[in-house]
Amino acid sequence: MNHNSAANIIKSALGEKRSCLSEYEAKLLLAFYGLPVTREVLVNNADELKAAARQIGYPLALKGCSSEIAHKTEQGLIHLGIQSEGEALVAFEEIRKKLAEGHGAVLVQEMVRGSRELVMGMTRDEQFGPCVMFGLGGIFTEILRDVSFRKAPLSELDAREMMREIRGNKIIDAFRGMPAADAKTLAQMLISLGRIGLDFREVKEIDLNPVIIAADKPVVVDALIVLG
Amino acid sequence: MIVRKMNLKAKKEDMERIFHPRRLAIVGVSTDGGARGFGIGMLVGLQAMGFEGEVFPVNPKGGSYAGLNFYKKVEDIPGQIDFAIIAVAAKDVPEALEACRKKGAAGAEILSAGFSELATKEGRELEHKISEIADRGIRVVGPNCFGIYCPGSGLTLLPGPDLSRISGPVAFLSQSGGMAIDLAHKGKWMGLNFSKVVSFGNGADLREVQLLDYLTEDDETGVIGMYMEGIKDGEAFFNAIKKATKKKPVVVCKGGLSAAGQRMVVSHTASMGGSRVIWESVLRQVNAIQVQNLQELAEACLAFCFLPPKVFRRLSVIGGGGALGVTACDAAEKFGMEIPALEPVVRKNVEELLPKPGSSGANPIDVANPFVEPKILQKVLHAAAQDERVELQIIVSLLYHYKTMARMLGKPIAQVAPYRELAELLGGVVRETGKPIVAVLANPKRGVDDLDIVEMLALARAEFIKNGLPVFDDLHEAIRAIGHVNTYYEKRIKNES
Repeated sequence: MNHNSAANIIKSALGEKRSCLSEYEAKLLLAFYGLPVTREVLVNNADELKAAARQIGYPLALKGCSSEIAHKTEQGLIHLGIQSEGEALVAFEEIRKKLAEGHGAVLVQEMVRGSRELVMGMTRDEQFGPCVMFGLGGIFTEILRDVSFRKAPLSELDAREMMREIRGNKIIDAFRGMPAADAKTLAQMLISLGRIGLDFREVKEIDLNPVIIAADKPVVVDALIVLG
Repeated sequence: MIVRKMNLKAKKEDMERIFHPRRLAIVGVSTDGGARGFGIGMLVGLQAMGFEGEVFPVNPKGGSYAGLNFYKKVEDIPGQIDFAIIAVAAKDVPEALEACRKKGAAGAEILSAGFSELATKEGRELEHKISEIADRGIRVVGPNCFGIYCPGSGLTLLPGPDLSRISGPVAFLSQSGGMAIDLAHKGKWMGLNFSKVVSFGNGADLREVQLLDYLTEDDETGVIGMYMEGIKDGEAFFNAIKKATKKKPVVVCKGGLSAAGQRMVVSHTASMGGSRVIWESVLRQVNAIQVQNLQELAEACLAFCFLPPKVFRRLSVIGGGGALGVTACDAAEKFGMEIPALEPVVRKNVEELLPKPGSSGANPIDVANPFVEPKILQKVLHAAAQDERVELQIIVSLLYHYKTMARMLGKPIAQVAPYRELAELLGGVVRETGKPIVAVLANPKRGVDDLDIVEMLALARAEFIKNGLPVFDDLHEAIRAIGHVNTYYEKRIKNES
């Protein structure tokens, strides 16, 4: 955990009067707290893009990265499954065009493979302060609302209980040839989210969606951190 | 914004003087207007309850009632007082409270309304004055409350001249006075005996956190019930209730849970974390038992009082009627229990005892006939308990059917229905087998034609309770209450290991 580095990210965003961290910044902050995130590089031009693509390797995801965008999917700012440099350059230009009115760079990201998607998050309750959420991720988050909460700080038992509490709790078990998800890491991620909420009053909400289970390892694929 | 010291810890010796006062002032006792005031109501109530301490009524105009002379001022009371009941007009409360403090009272309950609940500046300021006086050394229950009920001392809620004087393990904390008096009355016939019931109203001083802390350490209290609408300090409440549940079960009915909010939020997490969801999660996290209403709270407390502290996974159910099996199994599954088929030998033993045809010794056990004698039922439950997997037995008694027999014999049902014998014999089965029995006294006949059944079942309930058997109105509710016991002890055992 690197509290000072995390604090600097928040401080600089607040200094610019921003209400959100960019995805890139959010993941840096999460990584400082030990959460596993996608490998990714922020690029501003075609040369940087090519270098980043070589470093990470195909397939790739390209995402418009700006602190002004909370829900990227709806705005055509995400291109997934890019297999070649040619495709990457086309996607890069499209995203740049859409971003033109605002500002922001493009995030080059590894494609995480896994068919199980979870959501994790943190919200601030008026009475109970930072509360951590766990549930089914991706499109099912809003459709099924199958989630559970715990007040921070979380014990390991709290984290494990909240994972068992959702109706779809079998998603983290061994299932159809997939191994059981690494519950220890999942629990640690939830505990860390609570820690972030306790450490930074300025962090109002966090959404990690999806957190994809790659083989058995959870990885944060998209992240939103709201300040306030 | 009015700021004051918060969460002052209540001293144990002060609390003892509050719940068991030897010298008690009632400030604001008036016999005018047909004696409808709160003060005179309390005086009458305390006398009817046989309150054991000395009572000093206060009224600026003097007067007397039932042989007690009224003092014109608190200052005129000879010597110290332990506790005061204040029922004067809101504007006069601070002065009365201060006078009681100077008289050495450890605490006071303020029944008067007209404070922060009005949501006016005047109301809030008046309540702030109360808090300030409290901080100088007198603990306050209320204002805008029904006070304290303590069967041990005879203190009673407003208006409760007829509450039980039998002490027991149940404590209840309630923001609502109505809920407090309702539970106190309910407990009397359901078999819940109380240590302390506190209606704390606006909670200007003592409220959920301090009272929970006190009850956690209180040896007279074995289970704590709570009715809450809002809390003052989420963090302090969380810590207090978490500490309480490590020692004893806490059953919570939370009122005013609105749906996920009108708040402006960006993330999915925040939009899904409305106050209801967060409350439910927090209560689960601290291992408190959440219930939906006062009846469920009473039933949960009943189960906690009557059942041994453990987890019951496998039940036997004894009753009659075809749908019994389905209903029982559905409820058991819903609340995480099962009703296993009895072992062949046990089943055979049970079936040999049952009338034929139509009966079944599978589990649930269908006795087929509502008039099976208590002695036979005793043997059936005894036999079923021999199945090692059975941890608890439920008997669904069909005593109401005895009305048919009573009519034939030309006798009142209360003389014909063998409830007393049944209760005694079943109490014996529990002692011999070591496996608890829960009774369900079903009664679909509650109309004006059948008041004799209602009466007989009230008598039957009292007999069952006397013999240590908790009674529920229906099977689903009984199983739900057992489920609450399981939920609590399962997590407590996990936490302790």
